[in-house]
Amino acid sequence: MAEDPSGTFQVPLWRSIAVFRFASMAYVVAMAALNVTDYAHPFGAIPALAVLVGWSVAATYLYARSAWRGWPLLGTDLAITLVLLLASPWVVGRTAIDNGVPSLAVAWQACPVLAWAVSGGRRRGAIAALVVGTADVTMRAKLTSASATGLMLMLLAGVAVGHVARLAVESEQRLQRAVELEAATRERERLARGIHDSVLQVLALVQRRGAHLDGEAAELARLAGEQEAALRALVSGRPPRQRSGPEVDLRTILDGYASPAVSIAAPATPVRLPASVAHEVGAAVGAALDNVARHGGSGARAWVLLEEEAGTITVSVRDDGPGIPAGRLAEAAQQGRLGVAQSIRGRIAELGGSVEIVSAPGEGTEVELRLSVSG
Amino acid sequence: MTRVMVVDDHPMWRQGVARDLAEAGYDVVATTGEGGQAVRIAPAARPDVVVLDLQLPDISGVEVIRGLLAALPGVRILMLSASGQEQSVLDAVKAGATGYLVKSASPEEFLDAVRRTAAGDTVFTPGLAGLVLGEYRRLAKGGGPAEDEAAPRLTDRETEVLRLVAKGLSYKQIAARLSLSHRTVQNHVQNTLGKLQLHNRVELTRYAIEQGLDSPD
Repeated sequence: MAEDPSGTFQVPLWRSIAVFRFASMAYVVAMAALNVTDYAHPFGAIPALAVLVGWSVAATYLYARSAWRGWPLLGTDLAITLVLLLASPWVVGRTAIDNGVPSLAVAWQACPVLAWAVSGGRRRGAIAALVVGTADVTMRAKLTSASATGLMLMLLAGVAVGHVARLAVESEQRLQRAVELEAATRERERLARGIHDSVLQVLALVQRRGAHLDGEAAELARLAGEQEAALRALVSGRPPRQRSGPEVDLRTILDGYASPAVSIAAPATPVRLPASVAHEVGAAVGAALDNVARHGGSGARAWVLLEEEAGTITVSVRDDGPGIPAGRLAEAAQQGRLGVAQSIRGRIAELGGSVEIVSAPGEGTEVELRLSVSG
Repeated sequence: MTRVMVVDDHPMWRQGVARDLAEAGYDVVATTGEGGQAVRIAPAARPDVVVLDLQLPDISGVEVIRGLLAALPGVRILMLSASGQEQSVLDAVKAGATGYLVKSASPEEFLDAVRRTAAGDTVFTPGLAGLVLGEYRRLAKGGGPAEDEAAPRLTDRETEVLRLVAKGLSYKQIAARLSLSHRTVQNHVQNTLGKLQLHNRVELTRYAIEQGLDSPD
């Protein structure tokens, strides 16, 4: 449907108002026919009833189009009802009204109240009920219990219908979100299957066949391998990474670093951490891997191992680069240079964890992050 | 001559692998793209090593491995997978596969893995070592029902070796670092898989017995 999305659940409500509008119109006309002999100005009833019938038809037609259910229509609806109500003392006569002869709007006056409630919820319904009710009370000489009850019922109708209308809108939006999410997930799975069966296999094949060639072909093979790893991470079966939310799986964050040069080893079960902690750990691992890429020389490889045991999470990042000469880290710290080690230590210290860096020239570097987690 | 069967649903990949194997002096006795067919023809083809893609269109990797081992006890299975399917790799290892390699490995790595698998060695990737470590810890934590004492455990040495494998060290490097022989490192790695596979078989048997005893007759 091309209608605005927050409308389809309300369609039955608008239809019921239209039915009520015609039923109450018939009631008003019947009442007028019965009591016309008691009216102060019987001929005044003719234009009043003409307006009543004409507006009932017009309003039903106009309210059926969602684009027109705006303030002009709601305002006009209420204004016409007020005009009929305020014309009643003159047409029907004050004494007749006080003797119990119905006004020119009787039950019909609830129509704008319902329309306001459906269009804008409880508060709007209550406002319209109070406006119509006040007009109804002011045209009477004395406030009878019947008219007070009528006012209360109208207020109740406005609030209750407004509440139901709001519920309808909310559940519709919720349903819409669920449907969108499901469609997105299904589409993602479909793409992942397709990509897995074709593109990934071919990229892996290109990488494999080109690996032992020289020059440009080897470069192409290497690029194919990188794309294979990136694409695989993108379509892997896990749900999309959540930025917010209470807990995330640290594995999904570390998987983002996988490439032909970076191996990620992790348990098969999720390693859940509060989102902020997981992203800090991810950033620390990212910093360590950046350092490998920068100082490890071309062709340096790195291995990330994620372990969880007895409430402790350990992430190790090892590389086969040239390693850090002894004393180099301390020297850098003394000179006030915030090296990569510092940034990793800083991040993990903030989380209450510890960092160990082991390195020797020619033996690569190993960074081990340890973090206690409750549970 | 070592007899090899290649099971992979991607024709290009299958042919490429078969050609590499033939060039390296292996006897490629069968190639197929379906797990069910692989199990059916295994007794006739009698491969020593099966190179198996974990993701096949018809049946799961675990089913293929069980079928192959039932048809040809002692056959060596080297699995390949293109993507990070942690759980299925772990299940396959527990079902009895003795080697694992990612599909993006170079032809040299692949041929080396086939050679070692044929020789009876276990072929680990760092990723698989991480999975196996995680599995032992899950079992130790008592994730499953009533398996406190039955849960297999790693010795400190085995844990140490497995962690080094997961960090990308070769068996040779591990042997040098821990002052062990290459063979000892290999044995430790093999034991870690052996215990998991044994535990898996015991669990399956226990499950079958429970089902059998509980069924009304």
